[in-house]
Amino acid sequence: MAEIVPFVPPTPALTNFDEWGFFIDPNRCIGCRSCVAACAECGTHKGRPMIHLDEMDRLHSPQTAPTVCMHCEDPICAQVCPADAIKRSEDGVVHASQKPRCIGCQNCELSCPFGVPIVFSGLEQMLKCDLCYDRTSEGLRPMCATVCPSQALLYAPKAEISRMRAAQPVREFMVGGLSVKTKNALMVPDPEAPLFLDAALLIEGEL
Amino acid sequence: MSLSSRLDLETRPLVGAALTTLALAGLVFLGNRGGRGLDPALLGYLVACLFACFGVAYRYWAWTGRPATRMYFRHTLRTLASRKALGALARMALLGLDQLLLQRFIGKRSLKRWGAHALIAWGCLLAFAVTLPLVFGWVRFTSAGLDPNRYQAWFFGFPAGSFPLDSPIAFITFHMLDWAALMVVAGCTLAFVRRRQDEGDSATQRFDFDLAPLLLLIAVSVTGLLLTVSVSFLQGRNYGTLAFVHELTVILLLLSLPFGKLFHVVQRPAQLGVAIYKAEGEAEGRVPCRSCGEPFIRANQLRDLKALYGALDLGAAVHGPRTHHLELCPRCKRRLLAKAQWKRMGGAFDPFADLPEWAEPIADPQTLRS
Repeated sequence: MAEIVPFVPPTPALTNFDEWGFFIDPNRCIGCRSCVAACAECGTHKGRPMIHLDEMDRLHSPQTAPTVCMHCEDPICAQVCPADAIKRSEDGVVHASQKPRCIGCQNCELSCPFGVPIVFSGLEQMLKCDLCYDRTSEGLRPMCATVCPSQALLYAPKAEISRMRAAQPVREFMVGGLSVKTKNALMVPDPEAPLFLDAALLIEGEL
Repeated sequence: MSLSSRLDLETRPLVGAALTTLALAGLVFLGNRGGRGLDPALLGYLVACLFACFGVAYRYWAWTGRPATRMYFRHTLRTLASRKALGALARMALLGLDQLLLQRFIGKRSLKRWGAHALIAWGCLLAFAVTLPLVFGWVRFTSAGLDPNRYQAWFFGFPAGSFPLDSPIAFITFHMLDWAALMVVAGCTLAFVRRRQDEGDSATQRFDFDLAPLLLLIAVSVTGLLLTVSVSFLQGRNYGTLAFVHELTVILLLLSLPFGKLFHVVQRPAQLGVAIYKAEGEAEGRVPCRSCGEPFIRANQLRDLKALYGALDLGAAVHGPRTHHLELCPRCKRRLLAKAQWKRMGGAFDPFADLPEWAEPIADPQTLRS
């Protein structure tokens, strides 16, 4: 029997964008809404939760699923932004719209392949999950991942994830025929192939 | 290799910027009656203004050439050239008052932010409203005839009234830039305090984009105020040096306009065009989501975004022959993501399904270990 090596929890100051990753497993979500409450505490969008917690099929199942920004490598929200207000920093984090530039057109909200950004029309501004940049840039874990009791949202060392989970991270998604690569990962049993998002299956009730 | 290709300049913005600068130079020449109204002491500022005009216009034309920006820019131009122009202009005027002058939407973001921004914006607007006509020679002041105690104002080379030097109107007019400078310094200070207190802004701000413009505005304002201090309290001591330093800071500010945060002043009016676009879209109606049936996207925006996807090489984002990814509402896109993962995991959302062999217990929250 293999020796069990104790996993020493890293001190928060040791987290960094290169070695740590965000891993999402909607299957584990228990709908407690801790992430929603914690997200509202984030300094970059104070008082407004940017995490989405959706019920899947309320009539048939209590299942809920959390969605945070996947932080695309070539974000479509930024490409369709007429004000050039959405920027991806060198560490791979796609930030909420720059306040001086955003003109509230909603292109980003309607184009995001994962349905993440929210445009607040009164504020004329798009806000979205920015990986709790005020925390993660200082080595702390994102609010939602810190409080998620079932670890549907997990911020952990990338090197450790293969030991921690049977399912493994996938970072490529096929939106119809369009490949979208992301910084954050979704957990699947077979990470070699991208995750296909086929709306036809959703519309026809086959998902 | 030509200079423009070495500098990676694009033709359309280059031509647009050249024409805009020529137009401004022409207006300056006409307004100051062929150079007769120009103040030689302000020539440095005039040259910097023309350079800044070229830079700002280049970036503006490059910006409006981006596919996404062009979508709104063309729509606004089309609307203003149509029969709907009058209604659109009236709507834009009201929105301009609310969003550009009063900036109430910033107040909704945060009251402190609005206070700082309003002081800076109104101070800068006031300063430019005073300075530019003087620099361009459109407005000038001379002694009224042989009376050294009266000042004569000239607008575009025409006499526009005179006033005594010791009158309240003279005091207000000659100190207009001081009021503006005080507003800008107060606004920038408030902005620095707010940024220091705001965890989010502290984490995301960049020195070159967020802080340098504030420092530059303070430098311009303080050196401008020092000119008044020199004249009013120090019998004009060091005035020449101070005037040179002030001119240097103003030129730096003008030349930084195309590159930094202050370019948003030119971008912000696009918000009015977006408002017109949205209003037209609402009148046309919203298209329902292909999955849940809830109307969510304005018909004109769906049409234009599909065309934009084509222009941006995103045209592959279609599901089968009939459904574009844009035709799913954001909530259904999120459900699609979760359900696709669910399917890949073997249907684990189903509470009655057999537990897949790879299913694992929840990790220890302390050790993160399954």
